[in-house]
Amino acid sequence: MKLASALDRRRHLTGYAFVTPTILVIVAILVYPVIQSVVLSFGQSSIDGSTGYTFVGLKHYASLMENERFWNALTVTLIFTVLTIPLELALGIGLALILNEHFKGKGLARLAVLFPWALPTALNTLMWRWMYNADFGLFNAVALQTGIADKPINWLGDPTLAMLSMVIVAVWKTSSFMALIILAGLQSIPKDLYEAGRMDGMTRWQEFREITLPLLKGPILVALVIRSMDALRTFELPYNLTDGGPVTATESLSLYAYKVIFDFIDFNFGAAVVVIQFLVIFALSLVYILALRPKD
Amino acid sequence: MKAKLIGSAAIAAALIGLGSLQASAADLVLSLGTRGYGAAAERNLAAFKELHPDIDVEWNKVSDVPNETRKIYVTNLTARSPTPDVFAVDVIWAGEFAQRGWLDPLDGLLSAETIASYNPAFLEAAQVDGKTFAAPLYLDGTHLFYRTDLLEKYNLEVPKTWEDLISASKTIMEGEGNPQFYGFVSMWAKIEGLFMNWLSFTNGNGGGFYDADGNVAVNSEANIKATQTMVDMLYADEIAPQSILNMRPDDARTLFQQGRAAFLMVQGFVYAPLAAPDSPVAGKFDFTRNPYFEGHPDAHSTAMGGWFLGINPNSENKEAAAELIAFFTSYEQELQAAVQDNRAPTVPAVYDDPEMKKANVLAKFGKNYDVGVVRPSAGTGEMYPRVSEIMQLEVTNALHRQKSVEEALNDAQAQIEALLAN
Repeated sequence: MKLASALDRRRHLTGYAFVTPTILVIVAILVYPVIQSVVLSFGQSSIDGSTGYTFVGLKHYASLMENERFWNALTVTLIFTVLTIPLELALGIGLALILNEHFKGKGLARLAVLFPWALPTALNTLMWRWMYNADFGLFNAVALQTGIADKPINWLGDPTLAMLSMVIVAVWKTSSFMALIILAGLQSIPKDLYEAGRMDGMTRWQEFREITLPLLKGPILVALVIRSMDALRTFELPYNLTDGGPVTATESLSLYAYKVIFDFIDFNFGAAVVVIQFLVIFALSLVYILALRPKD
Repeated sequence: MKAKLIGSAAIAAALIGLGSLQASAADLVLSLGTRGYGAAAERNLAAFKELHPDIDVEWNKVSDVPNETRKIYVTNLTARSPTPDVFAVDVIWAGEFAQRGWLDPLDGLLSAETIASYNPAFLEAAQVDGKTFAAPLYLDGTHLFYRTDLLEKYNLEVPKTWEDLISASKTIMEGEGNPQFYGFVSMWAKIEGLFMNWLSFTNGNGGGFYDADGNVAVNSEANIKATQTMVDMLYADEIAPQSILNMRPDDARTLFQQGRAAFLMVQGFVYAPLAAPDSPVAGKFDFTRNPYFEGHPDAHSTAMGGWFLGINPNSENKEAAAELIAFFTSYEQELQAAVQDNRAPTVPAVYDDPEMKKANVLAKFGKNYDVGVVRPSAGTGEMYPRVSEIMQLEVTNALHRQKSVEEALNDAQAQIEALLAN
């Protein structure tokens, strides 16, 4: 008896020893910065530590609530997310279904689909910025030469067009990521389910509705959560494409926080922006998980 | 498994080793863009190497868009990184960086003689509490570039006023009949250059950021009228393309260089690329002072800028860094930069050098600097970045017709007053 419990304890200790390094790393790079941001957002301090930290309570949050630019950034971020995610999901499922079929050059096709996603966002975005350029860009060259437009279209200079341009780049770039995750899900669906369906006389559409889609719930949830978080945090895209412009029409929360922190060098106020962003992402993730929870 | 672990540990160790090797490869890291001072820096570094073969200098060629470079510095200096050792400081940052402790005082590192050789008025921007925090490298300002061949073709005078420029633009655009040819281009993206533009326009109308008593007077009558002219150039006169609202200096320069614009208002650095032998407009352009509004011939409408060199307080090679700064800002090097690259010297004695007679272009630049106006960075100190951001944002609001000019400038005035009252 005594021997058994000692063994047990040793086994537990070994277990702890194994997970400790991981936990330490997670605490250092994830938990600590989050706590630090929250602490910063409730206080006033100088970045180099020359004046100490003083607690100011909800002061920064109160001034955030009155800050037009913050509300604009929040709205821009939500609009961007609401526009991109459904498009990406629809395209992602479509692409995954195509790539799941057997055809010649399937390997090449998969590679091609992954290409936009594999390139760094900043690089992609700069490429698109050139294509959108009103004076030297590809789109205007085509539009003017084919007579679709009689004068250059200012893609990134009009508030609505700039937002649409940004959505197009995001969808182009990340649909393939959705497709990849969904494709993995598709391949794990047992083939005999389809065989059984076919014996019962199911149509292709019924197969998709009754077999494919329910079994893809898990992968879709994962893809949605990851992509929504990405969209709510979007930074490189507006930073490189429009710098948040025209005026602030495409200024996302991350970009606004970045400007507060690095242009105005106000870490405390910037931390408050980041904490709100964190809460928004957290809330949305909860909604997804609850909505797509298995029914049983 | 064990072998794999050891393998990845070895790779990690190698990577870390590589990283530290890279960080200490050079004795000095110099951070400086290539657009304004590239050719001169290349020459200076080669000469410096001969003089000091024991000091190895790595040139970090940073972005020429000041606000992008600024972000690199803010990150490095906040994190107390020892590099860059020497970095280029925009005139508008000098006071702020000094106040934040991001520049090492040069007194003691540079000789008193060296410091005394600099243009005292310009040096003031980098002086806080009697100490000098950066050494001036060169002066810069905006000028109006124009196509001599087109003015001749349509029998037009070089415009002195905005009224002249607008009517000349219309004549040329009508005559050329090309929907992709524009009258006027400049840097009206939401960048520092837009604020410089606004200062050129408003000061050209007898207005400006401050009133005669030194109070912030952004929404004055004169300013509203001048800003309205900017808006009208886009929507009423239609001499500027919509895309001007996305243009940074080089975008505008490229358009002008392609022969697609009659007038260009940007900094003097564009002279070299425009005059290059392979430039389509080489020999077909000239420049003059920025226009003013009718009735204000003495207006100071040349928006001024300029660059300093400063030392990172965390640098591990401050003596060598000071050596490099002294060399770059020495009489001989500034003379060469003036004669060969049209970079306006910050050592006044250079202007009297007989060799300066060769620098015709620079002499003309210099005349425009006589009607120069600086940005309000000295008066607003640490708050300057926010002041500039407010101005950029509200002027952009007016240019995009999101607000009327009066509304935008009233809002800017209110925000700046609130900011500076704190």
